[in-house]
Amino acid sequence: MKTVIFLAIVLVSGAIAGTIHGMTNLVMVEPYLDEAIGIENQNLFASGEEEDTPQFWVEYNSYRDWQKGGQVLAGAILGTSVGALFGIVYALSRHALPGKNDLRKTLVLAGIMWLTIYLIPFLKYPANPPTVGDGETVVLRAVLYLSFIAISGFGAVGLYQLYKRLKQNTKVLAFVGYAVFIGIVFALMPPNPDEVTAPMDLVDGFRAMSAVAVSVFWVSVAVVLGSLWHKFRPDSEITLAKNQ
Amino acid sequence: MTFYVILLSYPTEITVSKSKVPIFAIALLAIIFAVGLFVVGYDQGHIFSVVLGEQAYEDLYIHELTHDMRHAAGFPCH
Ligand SMILES: [Zn+2]
Repeated sequence: MKTVIFLAIVLVSGAIAGTIHGMTNLVMVEPYLDEAIGIENQNLFASGEEEDTPQFWVEYNSYRDWQKGGQVLAGAILGTSVGALFGIVYALSRHALPGKNDLRKTLVLAGIMWLTIYLIPFLKYPANPPTVGDGETVVLRAVLYLSFIAISGFGAVGLYQLYKRLKQNTKVLAFVGYAVFIGIVFALMPPNPDEVTAPMDLVDGFRAMSAVAVSVFWVSVAVVLGSLWHKFRPDSEITLAKNQ
Repeated sequence: MTFYVILLSYPTEITVSKSKVPIFAIALLAIIFAVGLFVVGYDQGHIFSVVLGEQAYEDLYIHELTHDMRHAAGFPCH
């Protein structure tokens, strides 16, 4: 294993995919965030916590610009982070993944990870725009969300171990096992305690765009890592057998 | 015997696929994963408080910087 090349392509692919994710959000998700924060502002004015003055809007616009611009940087950081996990799992499972070349293998793995650590947790605890959450419950919500992701991810790894041990014609049992396992966890985990008070159109539109953008990330990270792996082959070493 | 002769006299390049991943590379990536996830998903001023002290919890630089991504990527926020 060429370790430096391995680390470099894993980190670069995560950062590129994360930047693409951040820019996708700017285009697709931002309009919903602006609308949601607009509602929050109206609530602040109505309750008298803030006053609708030019001063308020100057401050508001300056931190909103910081938040919007920050999104691309935050995307690069998050992408590098999730890309690092993707790189670990890919390096360890590459030999077992179906597909003739690295690009197909990375796409298969990204599909599995997208399903188990993104889509299924998202269906249980969907993303919410600002104005929906209650500040009091943020720690509880964070713990629930992260636990569900971890349970689903480790559950998939566990069932993969079972998959390897099963005979060819019974391998489907591993998929059934995962489905049953995650179905039970899905039913037992407590729901998000917050009530959605924002207009449902806004919330649904936000969730759909958010899910599309995260999916764009997973496709991007697979395409970039698969292509770079194919080009640089960090797993191969050329050795010269001497003629003795 | 013939087998060994062929093996030892075979002069061309052989590409060996070594799938063994060094443990420190895995550990390094795992740390990057954990820190990055914390910064984007959960930081409420903790990281800068190392440098800025209590003031960091007021300023929430990282929180504001990562705020929109936090919502858009599905992390609980506010
Ligand atoms: Zn928020």
